[in-house]
Amino acid sequence: MNDEEPILRVRNLTKTYMQGKIPVHALNDVSFDVDKGEFLSIVGPSGSGKSTLLSMVGLLDKPTSGCAMIDGTKITEAKDSEAPVIRREKIGFVFQHFNLIPTLTALENVDIAMRFARVPKGKRKERAVELLAQMGLRERMNHKPSELSGGEQQRVAIARAMANYPAIILADEPTGEVDTKTRDMIVSLLKELAEKGQTILIVTHDTAVSAQTKRVITMRDGKIASDTKV
Amino acid sequence: MFDLIIKNITQRKLRTGLTVFGIALGIFAVIVMGGMSEHFNITFDRSMSLTADKIRVMPEGGFVGVSLNDSKVREVKRVPGVSDAYGLLQSPLDPESLGVFGGDVVIGIPPEKQELAMKDTKLTDGRFLVTGDGYKAVLGSSVAREFNLKVGDELEVKSKRVQRTASITHTRNFTIVGILEYTGSFFDNAVQVPLDRAQKFYDRGDTVSIILAVPDLNADPEDLTKRIELNVEKVKALSPSELRKQIEQSLIVFSLITISAAVLAAIIGGLSVMNTMLMSVSERTKEFGLMKALGAETKDILFMTMGEAALMGILGGIVGIIGGGALVYYMNDYLASRGTTLFSITPRLIVIAIVFATLLGVISGMYPAYRAAKMSPMEALRYE
Repeated sequence: MNDEEPILRVRNLTKTYMQGKIPVHALNDVSFDVDKGEFLSIVGPSGSGKSTLLSMVGLLDKPTSGCAMIDGTKITEAKDSEAPVIRREKIGFVFQHFNLIPTLTALENVDIAMRFARVPKGKRKERAVELLAQMGLRERMNHKPSELSGGEQQRVAIARAMANYPAIILADEPTGEVDTKTRDMIVSLLKELAEKGQTILIVTHDTAVSAQTKRVITMRDGKIASDTKV
Repeated sequence: MFDLIIKNITQRKLRTGLTVFGIALGIFAVIVMGGMSEHFNITFDRSMSLTADKIRVMPEGGFVGVSLNDSKVREVKRVPGVSDAYGLLQSPLDPESLGVFGGDVVIGIPPEKQELAMKDTKLTDGRFLVTGDGYKAVLGSSVAREFNLKVGDELEVKSKRVQRTASITHTRNFTIVGILEYTGSFFDNAVQVPLDRAQKFYDRGDTVSIILAVPDLNADPEDLTKRIELNVEKVKALSPSELRKQIEQSLIVFSLITISAAVLAAIIGGLSVMNTMLMSVSERTKEFGLMKALGAETKDILFMTMGEAALMGILGGIVGIIGGGALVYYMNDYLASRGTTLFSITPRLIVIAIVFATLLGVISGMYPAYRAAKMSPMEALRYE
């Protein structure tokens, strides 16, 4: 048992969409906790609610009911004006399609996350260089996304997610766009970060990825079907 | 954040260039039209400063077809409160070509009154007219430059007289005795000659076009104006303030017409900024969604998008000012050789143009910026 407060606490989270006049329960009374430094995956078939859950936890969407708390902050009750602050201070995003800004270099893509957090220019550059070096991209930091391979782009995205020392990294299908070799490299990189104390939550439907995580939450029809710690 | 703005607008060079060109055209129009309006205002102000202390007395019913004779000058002089009065006879220098923008004029003036009439204006060469001068002339700076004349040269003056059914052109050479410094007033385009010689040359007997009455130091010009109308028959007197009001009104109309045309051109430029920014925001939907997911606040997105629009406005403004300034410079240079100028680019006009261009950019960027700022990050990230 961990005596510390969980980094992520989800309680009775429900999201209901209206499809015409028919209500669709994308999330139905979901509750779980994630401890600091945990490396866990959420798996499930398409439409099971795993991406919806990630959107709620990442403050990209609001739940119909229930609550979520990250690092002691009740994010589901945050006002619109507070959401950007929570996003940049508590959460790091890694997306399936990398979502790097095409006009910026790798260094600038990492830097931009810190700009919004009002980090001074000198410190931003220092941190971005350090992170890219950690990702093995020291020689590629001045290249634009179009000049980088899929694996390199995803590593830049991970460096960007790490930039503001987030409480949790939310990765939505981070290996969905890469080959198996690159997938393994990305997963081992995330695993390494988790071993250093970074909390990482991966949404995936790739069992090879979830097999590498220490805990697997399986979702089905908007509910948690199983929660297994390895 | 400023470096990001620069990066964004330089990424799409052709589109940015075309948008800046659109704004530049509008500001070009503002500079050229505004320069014309400014020039008329300045000329009016300087002309007024030279003659503002005098009451104008004209024939009742206006200038056309009627004139005043010398006896009226004496009557005006006798009105209590008038310290001095003198008549002027005015005629175009070249009766064949009445210039659209005024053109040069010959002013017949009593020689002994010339220095008084010109107040503190100095001569760059020669002397003022003196009593007893015959066919002598003092030139305004623009006339001297137009005909490349100096003191001692002769100027050919034409007059057209109607005899029975034909009009006959007479010419006469006037010797230049003085050249006035640049005043920025209509006197720059004037050839001042002795009144009696002008009356003789133009066959006008003892008539004058206008009488200028100088009020006593303690006389109220408004009251004196009314008193002149009461005491002298068949004349219309205009006080300096009334004259200023009348001319200002016509200048306002002129300014409104010219500036409205320019503003319309600039607004069209503004629409091109809005179009460009809307396209840019639409293309970068996913980018804005990502920025929001990374913690960008509404004000960051607003600053970025409106900053781009404002920068395009400023760039357009600078290009428009340089382009308009160049045209005005060459036009003035060309017109100067013909004895006139038409445009004045003042610091005020440049400030107005640059502020207008910036505001145009900012206002045109508001709606696209609002759309970018209000995007839901989740929707934006899903956007393809």
